[in-house]
Amino acid sequence: MSLLQEKTENKSVFSFMWLLSTLILLAALIFTIIPLIFMFTASAMPSKDILKMPYRWVPRGFHWQNYFKAIAGNDGNYMFFRNIINSVIVACSVTVSTVLLAGITGYGLAKFRFRGRNIVFLAIMATMMIPFEAIMIPLYLVATNLHLQNSYGGLIFPFLVNAFGVFMMRQFLITFPDEFLDATRIDGAGEIRIFFNIVLPNIKPAIATLAILTFRTQWDNLIWPLLIAQSEKMKTVPLYIVKFAAEKYTDEGAMMAVAFLASIPMLILFFSMSNYFVSGASVYSSRKG
Amino acid sequence: MKKKYSGIEKKLSRWGWYFVTPSLIFFMLFSFYPIINAAYISLFRKKILSLKAPDFLGLGNYKYLLSSSDFWNSMRATFVFTLGTFIPLVIVSLLLAVLIMGRNKGKKFLQLAYYSPAVLSSVVAAVIWMMIFDPRGIANQWLNFLVNTPGVDHLWLAKSFMVQFSTMLVYFWKYIGYFVVIFIAGLASIPHSLYEAAKIDGAVPRQIFWRITLPLLKPTVLLVSIMAMLQCLKTFGTQYLFVQAGSPQAPINVITLNIYNTGIRDHLLGRASAMSIILFVIMLFFTWLQFKTSKADDVDY
Amino acid sequence: MKKIIPILLTLIFLALPLFAAGQPEEEGSITITFWTHEDPNRTALEERYIKEFEAANPDVTIERVTNSSKKMPELLLTAFAANEGPHIFNTQIEDGYAYIANGRVAPVNLKAAGYSSTSDLKNAYVDGVLNAVTEGGDVYGLPLELTNWAPYVNKRVFRDAGLDPEKDYPKTWEDIVAVSEKMVLRKGDIITRRGFDFRFPYYLVSMVPMVEQLGGKLVSDDGKTAIINDKAWLTFLEFMADWGPNGKNLGSPTYKNGRKLFNMDNNDMGMCLSGLYQIGRIRADNKEFYDSGDWMVIPFPQFENAVEDVASAYYGHYYMVNNQKSSREQEVAWEFISYMLSHSEEYLSEVGLIQPTKALMSSETFKNIPYGDVFANDLAKGHMVYYAENSAKIQELMKEAVEGVLLSGIAPEKALASLKVKAQEVLDQQ
Repeated sequence: MSLLQEKTENKSVFSFMWLLSTLILLAALIFTIIPLIFMFTASAMPSKDILKMPYRWVPRGFHWQNYFKAIAGNDGNYMFFRNIINSVIVACSVTVSTVLLAGITGYGLAKFRFRGRNIVFLAIMATMMIPFEAIMIPLYLVATNLHLQNSYGGLIFPFLVNAFGVFMMRQFLITFPDEFLDATRIDGAGEIRIFFNIVLPNIKPAIATLAILTFRTQWDNLIWPLLIAQSEKMKTVPLYIVKFAAEKYTDEGAMMAVAFLASIPMLILFFSMSNYFVSGASVYSSRKG
Repeated sequence: MKKKYSGIEKKLSRWGWYFVTPSLIFFMLFSFYPIINAAYISLFRKKILSLKAPDFLGLGNYKYLLSSSDFWNSMRATFVFTLGTFIPLVIVSLLLAVLIMGRNKGKKFLQLAYYSPAVLSSVVAAVIWMMIFDPRGIANQWLNFLVNTPGVDHLWLAKSFMVQFSTMLVYFWKYIGYFVVIFIAGLASIPHSLYEAAKIDGAVPRQIFWRITLPLLKPTVLLVSIMAMLQCLKTFGTQYLFVQAGSPQAPINVITLNIYNTGIRDHLLGRASAMSIILFVIMLFFTWLQFKTSKADDVDY
Repeated sequence: MKKIIPILLTLIFLALPLFAAGQPEEEGSITITFWTHEDPNRTALEERYIKEFEAANPDVTIERVTNSSKKMPELLLTAFAANEGPHIFNTQIEDGYAYIANGRVAPVNLKAAGYSSTSDLKNAYVDGVLNAVTEGGDVYGLPLELTNWAPYVNKRVFRDAGLDPEKDYPKTWEDIVAVSEKMVLRKGDIITRRGFDFRFPYYLVSMVPMVEQLGGKLVSDDGKTAIINDKAWLTFLEFMADWGPNGKNLGSPTYKNGRKLFNMDNNDMGMCLSGLYQIGRIRADNKEFYDSGDWMVIPFPQFENAVEDVASAYYGHYYMVNNQKSSREQEVAWEFISYMLSHSEEYLSEVGLIQPTKALMSSETFKNIPYGDVFANDLAKGHMVYYAENSAKIQELMKEAVEGVLLSGIAPEKALASLKVKAQEVLDQQ
């Protein structure tokens, strides 16, 4: 009898916690998602309605012209497709190189003891501590000396790896079991093979996370591409969007439509990667328990 | 025996260097050089468009800044913003990540929803937020509904306190998803077997969180709190956008905004660089402090 | 295994040039880069001029690059700081001065631009419009557009508020307040329909003239003293304090700016301040409203006790040429600029931009522009906006003072005292 009572009591506490957690999650959900809903509904309205206050959340009909204009562009030259391909090329290259370079560097910093390791780590961290505005001009000088203007190289090279990626990989690899690495070393595996065959497959959540965050940062990168990619053919999606947001000529509806179209690749990527986030790490479970 | 061991150590330390070298070469070109360049320029009266050799000032730019009330106001604005943003960011993102992981259903959807601010183009998000904060926008409508004060304009973009709060709100919105995703990755890396073992030992969820989850999550917590802190100290876009939209500048004139205005708008590149170097030292110090106090590197199962 | 890393590194560095854009330089042919701010209508026009110019000069290629007007100043500065500026660019009047002062732009190549002498060039333009780009007797830029601002009136809103737009339109700033009070609709404190919208971010163009009407000045004629005539400034600041939420609550800079709302005719904007180009935008944004004739343009208001008749200052953009390029490239650049500017009438009729040559101002095209006479009359009463290397900083100080009294309830005397000290400090630093 008493056992049963305890159980029900436990359950009521549990369901109160469940309710509280639901409320918190729901509140956060509304807060984060409102602007997204705004974007989508506004993309279906003529500018006249968007600017009308208070904002009406349900569009009257679907104003397809916004999407036609979004794709055709201000100049009517359909650069959108070209620009979106540029963005995909740049963001994918940067993501792959960041995951590899940050992975290998973070691994080196987390799992190897060598003289100067802390200095190296600190130096890499230090690169995050200067605002971009302060290094923009010297960086532009470097890029122009390498003749990187209006090229994929100019868009990609300055972002091949970043300190955040290294830091993140290091933090995730610190808890990676040493005995496991030593065991494979004794089996005679080379260091590079250990990294690619043992380490990488076992930190999938970290890789997926870094990949998403890196891709996103590139997808939304504005200032640098603005400087380095002047020709229409080399522009990326954010630059395309900025054209719609040019102060005096803004067509809000078309701008929202572009923004919505531009967010689709991010959504696809997120969905295809999200399984890895929660997939867990097999190496740990095989080890301890 | 001893000799062989040190041989392995030596070999491993060499591999450590091999692994970090490619990134180091990259950083030298694209980060260290520009930073050193900024440090060098901070010693001169350098104007952005001038072709003449700039006057050497020594520490003149630094002296000017340390006696400038405008600069100290920027320090204040930066620290208020950082404290008001990064602590809630770390705590709430951890809370949301733990709550999401405790769910059986809707994990994917919730993650995506929290991450959605990141999916939205920053340029467009800015336009949307300005419409929300417009006196006729939903910020006023909803707040007035919640606290039952119909028709009051809360001056989201105008009053000194409100404009600081609004920048924090927008920033929080933009980055909460980032950190939730990182925490989820950290939580997913914790072996399930440990939880099962704890459950068999009769631990309740609260104990599991404090005794198992949090200690194992320490490196991730450090990662998120350092990143959130650095990001907040470096915040620029939100404040820039608010000022462009007509907000008063003084309450939200963070250091980076001051750097931008001094260097780009007023053309005083030397003074702007000096400001960047001061900010650099501040960030370095607080990062060091966090590493020092957390001792997160000593993780044990 | 160890060898893999050096090999990889070598490969990466070998691959560098592959990614870099190869720019094969043909003998004799030149490429002129031309940076300008985004303006879709102008793009169509200028792309056509480029084609025509390239057809006439087969060895010249012109690369026109557009970027958002907000980002342009920053991009130009960065490129010039790295000595990689474009051949041709245009900047706002206030921003252009620094390029001239630092010797970064070349004087107009008179021969290439088709003038016999500097005075011939100056004579071709309306008096005073080249002042901002004249230094030491040389002219360093030619106007892409120059305009003044005047209030646009929505007659429907006037009628809705029981006013007769033809008779009751405001002539003075006091009238502006009076008609605004009639037109304003509110929900509680929140304004849902404004009577008039100042052009808030552009304090130098739209608000300094208000002070000048009262006899004040931003900077003394010798350029050494800031904020002349406290009484005039105080009257102006009191007027602004009275305008804001702490006074009559008629509007503030945090509401969406009125120009865009005006075109939509959503019954939320009575009057807004804008240039001649607004006409074209009304047509593009809202054809029905444009055709209805329910809008008009009125002269820039004066204070009742104005001591001087001053209309809005000139806002404008000048084309300039980078003097780090070879002399032949500079020459071609000026040839191209003057080719574009030879189509002044088309710029006016297609895009609503005024390139203020005497020929254009007296042309039939200008006379046929609706309300062109209102702008032309005001133009004669205005002058060039304050331009100097510190004008952006001065504008920020003015913003701080006006917003201080308007939004934060700072006493006008206090705001003025602080403005005076800070502005003087900026002047003294030069």
